[in-house]
Amino acid sequence: MGWIVAVIAVIAAVVAQARSYGSARSEQVAVAHYEVAERQMRAAEARTAALVDEIRQLAHKRIPAVAVALSHPSAQVPGLREAAEVDGDSARLLTEAVQAARDAVLEERQRVDAAARAAMRGTSAKIQSLLNQSQQLLHELQHEYDDPRILQLDFRNELALRRTQSTAVLCDAWPGLARQNSPLVEIVLGAQSRVAGYERIKVANHLREERIALAARAAEPLAIALAELLANATAYSHPDTDVTVTLQQSGGRGAFVVVDDAGIGMDEDALDRARALLAGPAEVLLTELGDPPQTGFAVVGRLVVQYGFHCHIEASPFGGMRTILRVPAHLLTVLKEDRTLSALAPTPVSAHPTAADQAAPTAPAASAAPKTPAATADFAAPAAPAQDPPESDAAEPTGLPSRRRRTPRPAAVASRAAAAVPATGQVPRTPEQAESSWAALQQGTLNGRSVAGRAPAPDSDGHDHLGDQDDQGDDET
Amino acid sequence: MSAGPGRRLIPAYLVTGGRSRPAGPALDRLAVLVRTDTALPPDTGSEQRRLCELLEPGALTVVECAAHLDLPVSATVFLATDLAAAALLLTRPPIPSAGEIDRSLVERLLVGLRSLH
Repeated sequence: MGWIVAVIAVIAAVVAQARSYGSARSEQVAVAHYEVAERQMRAAEARTAALVDEIRQLAHKRIPAVAVALSHPSAQVPGLREAAEVDGDSARLLTEAVQAARDAVLEERQRVDAAARAAMRGTSAKIQSLLNQSQQLLHELQHEYDDPRILQLDFRNELALRRTQSTAVLCDAWPGLARQNSPLVEIVLGAQSRVAGYERIKVANHLREERIALAARAAEPLAIALAELLANATAYSHPDTDVTVTLQQSGGRGAFVVVDDAGIGMDEDALDRARALLAGPAEVLLTELGDPPQTGFAVVGRLVVQYGFHCHIEASPFGGMRTILRVPAHLLTVLKEDRTLSALAPTPVSAHPTAADQAAPTAPAASAAPKTPAATADFAAPAAPAQDPPESDAAEPTGLPSRRRRTPRPAAVASRAAAAVPATGQVPRTPEQAESSWAALQQGTLNGRSVAGRAPAPDSDGHDHLGDQDDQGDDET
Repeated sequence: MSAGPGRRLIPAYLVTGGRSRPAGPALDRLAVLVRTDTALPPDTGSEQRRLCELLEPGALTVVECAAHLDLPVSATVFLATDLAAAALLLTRPPIPSAGEIDRSLVERLLVGLRSLH
């Protein structure tokens, strides 16, 4: 019986031994498991912390920076802080969040800007039509009353009209005003008249074909664009300097209008910005034009795109800026002969080279424009367009006041009235001359009546310049 | 000058050269302009040249010149006074219109004529 007990004890001991051994192993395993879990948790915590940091970066830095970068292309947009700490999916999603925020901001900006443009368009259209009506009234008043202040009023009205019109064009309105085919020279003068300081603008006409004109649909747009360029040139140059406008034709490539000012010029940044606007970007936001908005180049850019002009800007040899507006050949026509040019239009400078007192404005090297010598405002020969031969002896004096033809004489101005009038009589007579001729007439009459008196009458220069009386009988009001 | 309906292209105030008043004495719309013999200087503007050409055959009033140039009188006065200042034009005051005839004078004349018999 004793060995049984011993066996049992041994067994029990073995079992106990075995038990204790197993529990130790399981304990080890558990510890290992715990450590793994611990490590995993720490890693997860670190990842979460990194992710939270990235989200904080996203909220506080990246999204605001993206919004700023939309209006300031030079602004830096930060990326992920610790790219290694964030796994690929999260990084991608974070970047997508930035992109989504950017798109939302952009869309909203465009919506707001479009609404602002629509509001401005409506307002400026109303103002424009009102100003057009007052212009019509002023035009009638000018012909009725001789007060020069009406002319000034007209000018102020025109300035306001230009502002309104350019705002409307900037806000996607149709430039308006279907004109007839209009001579290029007149369009340039029209643009000149819409600018404060127009008296400083000197137009030099170097067109080979005087009657070159713009197609009706492009006439007003060109006037608007040119007025903006001229406004820039006069606004940014000293009031004592001239702004020269040169009209040139180029062989088969349309016409050029070159505007030179002797102003302060532009720095590289401003020039780049101007060129970007002049190239006619697809969309110009009002919010991008600064405060106060610099609308000139933006307006020109819009018209350039819509009508196919081309505008180039560079530094001028006269110290300021030079802008070159090119009108393509397909927008040009030649006027019919029955349409007379305006009295104010400068006649083309004669083609033969004269001693130019100023450097010739030439087209940029890219274009093959002929280099015409510029005799600015130096009309070497009065180009009198004589289409029909003048009536011979139109001014033959008869006793009666007579209406004469008013066609310009083709002869040079120097030899005046060569044919009909003996060149003895000065046109303006002194009272003494008048007295002597009337006295001679009286004397002659008396002599003729007296039978005895055969004294020869002194010959009067029987050429009476009767000032044509105005037969309309309009009275001063 | 005006291009159909809508807006005219070239306004008259361009000839004023930015001035608010014409230089020199005021000109009546019926004042008579006469061209002198002075040759035009080469830098004469085209509108002044046109006005001088108008006056080549003889004298005209300001209002007639304005009609020929298609300008209002107020703008034409600017041109004329400039040219007069440059001694290219002479200006004369308007020719007075015939007034009422003094009836008593005519009656006295009639009496005088009858007494000649």
